[in-house]
Amino acid sequence: MSKDGGSLDTDLIRELATLLDETSLTEIEIELEGRRFRVARTVNVTAAPVAAAPAPAAPEPAEPARRPASEESGVHPGAVTSPMVGTAYRSPEPGAAAFVEVGSTVSSGQTLLIIEAMKTMNQIPSTKSGKVTAILVEDGQPVEYGEPLVVIE
Amino acid sequence: MFDKILIANRGEIALRIERACKELGISTVAIHSTADAHAMHVRLADESVCIGPPQAKDSYLNIPAIVAACEITGADAVHPGYGFLAENARFAEILEEHGITFIGPTAEHVRTMGDKIKAKETAKALGIPVVPGSDGPVDDLENAKVVAEEIGYPIMVKASAGGGGRGMKLAHFDYELEAALSTARTEAGAAFGDDTVYLEKYLGKPRHIEVQVLADGNGNAIHLGERDCSIQRRHQKLWEEAPSPALNESERVRIGEIVAKAMRELKYRGVGTVEFLYENNEFYFIEMNTRLQVEHTVTEMVTGLDLVIEQIRIASGAPLSIRQEDIRFNGHAIECRINAENPLTFRPSPGTITHFHPPGGLGVRVDSGAYAGYTIPPYYDSLIGKLIVHARNRNECLMRLKRALGEFVVDGIETTIPLFSSLIQEPDIVDGHYDIHWLEDHLAPNGDR
Repeated sequence: MSKDGGSLDTDLIRELATLLDETSLTEIEIELEGRRFRVARTVNVTAAPVAAAPAPAAPEPAEPARRPASEESGVHPGAVTSPMVGTAYRSPEPGAAAFVEVGSTVSSGQTLLIIEAMKTMNQIPSTKSGKVTAILVEDGQPVEYGEPLVVIE
Repeated sequence: MFDKILIANRGEIALRIERACKELGISTVAIHSTADAHAMHVRLADESVCIGPPQAKDSYLNIPAIVAACEITGADAVHPGYGFLAENARFAEILEEHGITFIGPTAEHVRTMGDKIKAKETAKALGIPVVPGSDGPVDDLENAKVVAEEIGYPIMVKASAGGGGRGMKLAHFDYELEAALSTARTEAGAAFGDDTVYLEKYLGKPRHIEVQVLADGNGNAIHLGERDCSIQRRHQKLWEEAPSPALNESERVRIGEIVAKAMRELKYRGVGTVEFLYENNEFYFIEMNTRLQVEHTVTEMVTGLDLVIEQIRIASGAPLSIRQEDIRFNGHAIECRINAENPLTFRPSPGTITHFHPPGGLGVRVDSGAYAGYTIPPYYDSLIGKLIVHARNRNECLMRLKRALGEFVVDGIETTIPLFSSLIQEPDIVDGHYDIHWLEDHLAPNGDR
């Protein structure tokens, strides 16, 4: 059985969260003894996790069930939803430019992001043509089946 | 011990497994299809992941999605429940390859017992009694007569390529064998293009009796007595009880010991059930289920053991926590499967439950994910709950069951509750005189409109 060992360092996370508030930053990421911690806030008002800690080595957020997927009322009609469970990445490789940004014009079939499932990178194509008005996932964020990823209008 | 278990199932069994995890202090991940977003197993889990659309093949049977759900939640073990992927050897292998523990036996044992022919050969080699037969094709009448004499009449002649009842002929006595052999052969040739036939002992009025085992994979195995699951319809069990009204203490110990010894030899791991047909004081192996069963609850009631907790402990590498001599069978337990079905026609009845009032009181247990306002999706099986009652003896158990059925209210859909309320009035049920055909025979006059 694989265990990553170590317990949840709530004090550290709380400290980071306070720092985040004080500095009005949107994201702080640190690496300590091989463990990565990231505290982020979403400026976007659309439904996105408030306390996402998506890096695999990071401790789990203390909050309970993840947001329900597509049946959540108020899914934007222009939303492209996730066809699978996995981890979303916004660029083809770490450090590279994102596939799309808010404001990008995309055509149907164009890659919007990548979802990694079972060590396989799956390109997620746009289901429509138009302008990207919102990107609802962060790089490295776990996504459920049916979860809205990008809004195209 | 595990930190986090992903439960690769839905409904009452997912809830059942969550309960065991919580008592062990293990966090739980529920997976669900879009159709089950409001299901109780999702609501009560610590975390949940939507893994696909309603169709089971795209969600609860979707191995890549389940592994991905383990990856994003950091689950270190998967409990498969029953059905879905519980007896999928490939699933067990894939999980192990990803460093995730499959809470169940080895993939090899799952595979062996999933193959009817291999399972029977393995059982026989381990000293488990099987249905006697010719062990291969019989070509001429003389040979057939010798084999039939050894097995004993009545004899069923079966097509090797057969199925669906075709190419099957019964010989009650030796003088009927010649005709049975030639007609079976002709039918088999016509139906399957292959006239090879074999012989098997015919059981006319058997009971279905199964033995529960618990083993640690290191050669330690115990049996937890038997369950009688003879009340079934189209091979679907509806009513299960422990102990069987047909067995006495020495028969219980005899078959239990045979099975436990076989599991020790096999170095089986986890919970398992060896199913038998039982007729004239003899047991005949049908198959082995390498998983937790729906009706495991009656065994829990009479032994006081939590089978899911034992299963998880064993999967984490712990040895058996209990010895055979510590097992005590207390009283009697009966389980009724509450299905969302018409109690006469058994037509599925999906829909919204408007009122839900489960029975309570001493010795009454309801395992169910149903609640008032819950909509039963049409995509999965119709089991919405199990009523399990326990009492000091069978008579008290029947009275308690009758009382509990009277309290049970499920409105808005049809359920099998009225069927059980009527069964409990039947003298054969009260006396425990039934076999695997009893329920279908009993329903026959008013079954078809």
